[in-house]
Amino acid sequence: MKRNLMILLGGALLVLLVASMLFVFQVRQSEVAVVTTFNRLTRSVGPGPHFKWPWPVEKVYKIDERIQILQDQFTEDLTGDNFNLLTTAYVGWSITNAIEFFPKFREGSIPAAQRMLEGILRSSKSSVVGRHLLSDFVNPNPQGLKFDAIENEMEQLVQSQLMTNNCGIQISFLGIKRLGLPESVTEAVFRRMTSERNLLSKGLEDQGESEAAKIRSAANRQAAEMLADAQAEATRIRGEGEAAAAKILPTFQQNPQLANFLLRIDSLEQILKDRSTLILDEGTPPFDLFRGSLTNSPAH
Amino acid sequence: MNDDALNSKAPMPARPPTPETPEDAGSRALAEALRSSFVVVKLAMWVLVIVFLCSGFFTVGSQEKAVILRFGRPVGEGEKALLGAGLHWSFPYPIDDVVRIPITEIQNVTSTTGWYFLTPEQELSQNEPPPGQSLNPAVDGYLITADANIVHSRVRLYYRIEDPTRYVFGFVNASNAVRNALDNALLYTAAHFEVDDLLYRDKAGFKDDLQRRVTGLIAQQQLGVAVDHCEVLDSIPPRQLKNAFDQVTTARENRIRVLNDAHTYENQVLYRASALTAAVTNEAAADKARLVESVTADAKRFKDLLPKYELNPALFTQVQLLDTMGSVLTNLQDKIFLPTRADGKSRELRLLFNREPPQPKTGTTPQS
Repeated sequence: MKRNLMILLGGALLVLLVASMLFVFQVRQSEVAVVTTFNRLTRSVGPGPHFKWPWPVEKVYKIDERIQILQDQFTEDLTGDNFNLLTTAYVGWSITNAIEFFPKFREGSIPAAQRMLEGILRSSKSSVVGRHLLSDFVNPNPQGLKFDAIENEMEQLVQSQLMTNNCGIQISFLGIKRLGLPESVTEAVFRRMTSERNLLSKGLEDQGESEAAKIRSAANRQAAEMLADAQAEATRIRGEGEAAAAKILPTFQQNPQLANFLLRIDSLEQILKDRSTLILDEGTPPFDLFRGSLTNSPAH
Repeated sequence: MNDDALNSKAPMPARPPTPETPEDAGSRALAEALRSSFVVVKLAMWVLVIVFLCSGFFTVGSQEKAVILRFGRPVGEGEKALLGAGLHWSFPYPIDDVVRIPITEIQNVTSTTGWYFLTPEQELSQNEPPPGQSLNPAVDGYLITADANIVHSRVRLYYRIEDPTRYVFGFVNASNAVRNALDNALLYTAAHFEVDDLLYRDKAGFKDDLQRRVTGLIAQQQLGVAVDHCEVLDSIPPRQLKNAFDQVTTARENRIRVLNDAHTYENQVLYRASALTAAVTNEAAADKARLVESVTADAKRFKDLLPKYELNPALFTQVQLLDTMGSVLTNLQDKIFLPTRADGKSRELRLLFNREPPQPKTGTTPQS
């Protein structure tokens, strides 16, 4: 009896298992499942366990609702001022309405959706680039740069296209990934850059030379000024000395003869101080002593 | 189960046969065998159940979080759904599914859209092919600066996952989204900088602006990550123009050198001038002192001698003159005395000057 119950329970469990495999399906978080009944779309369900009729009655397709990133290839467009500009962009897009999305692309094919999105992106980029000047993309003046505006315009254009297409897709963000110039243009840019560099290096050298020359001449001028000042100062000092000496001079007025005599004696001493030869005769004291006493008169 | 049955049947022939009731004995043995095999099966079933339940244990590392999906739906709401480090239990698949999310470890992405084309082998071997005449946009990446110059730059972003649920359930490939945000930020920031600022003058500003832009984009796109920091790996001018850019660097250094030379000259001149000024004024001061001193000394002597002079001026002068002559004559090199001729006429004197040349300074040979 007990054993029968066990067997019954076991059997029931087995049947339940097989039945759940046939009749139940799970949908993960961030997914949505689309159910078709005899290949006709009937409902979509969110995360959790769900009931279905087994194949071939109902079929379940799971669709990822997360944001996916699409990057496109370089496309070459003309700017408003007729420059060729290459751009690539990336788009964060997601499926927001599986019911609308599913029938638009064969069995909810993501690559097919990406192809469509890429086409929309290309045409949007082309028309937005054509509305702007090259200086809106690159500009040394931050006010002239319209990068954010360009991205916003592209995003809005793509968004509105998707709305009209009514395919259950939305984009969350759009950004320009790369900007490029056609290959031949890069060569021209290189030539321009080289000439700019040459100008810059020449300018730097000349500027250095002229600044150095300025520094040198300023130094020379300053030195000359200093010297002139010093000479003026020296003259002033000497003047002071002469004035001080002049104050003493009246002393000599007491007896000019003596002063004169002393001065002459001093100068005599000064003159004959060193390596001099003096030729004397009897007239000079003290040799006047010889006068008359020496007889070197002629013999006859 | 079959094996068990066979095994339990195998020893049967060894058993001593009971000839009286062979069917009864056989069926009893069969029942015995069935019972014992059933016990084994039951045991195996329990073991299986226990193993089944135990297989639900799992550990979460310190650098990750986990979310249990029960029938595809997360267990718990928001923050509560995140399981921290430690041992956890869930029902085995297909009831529960454990999703692990790396969280505390710092991850990084590198943007190479601004770099020229290199194969991974070339990158590793550091053996780059020489640059061509131009850049092919299909393969070579570059950035356009605010003044329409072309530069190369590659940057790396370090980030942590801040909102794991958003990171995992919001994006198919969130790190790809982060890289695209970084690419866009690099492009955007380069378009705001002039080439010299980007490469030389304002590298820090470039990095800061880049980080600000990428942080803003990540917040705006709600990628669920927090920026740790940004790193500019390299910023270089196009390789085609290396010489031209090097020339500017050389010119810049030359300019500094020329200016330094000028400053050296300036210092030299000014020091020399100040030395000269000091010499000039000192000389003047010395002259002044000497003049005043000598005049004072003369005055003093004058005052001392005046009384003596006044006593007998003729004698005084005679004495003084003789005194001076004496000292002067001793100092003389040659003294020639020339007495007057007896007839009172003056003598004719012929002098031949052949002075001894001044002594050369020590060190030079006294040859000439």
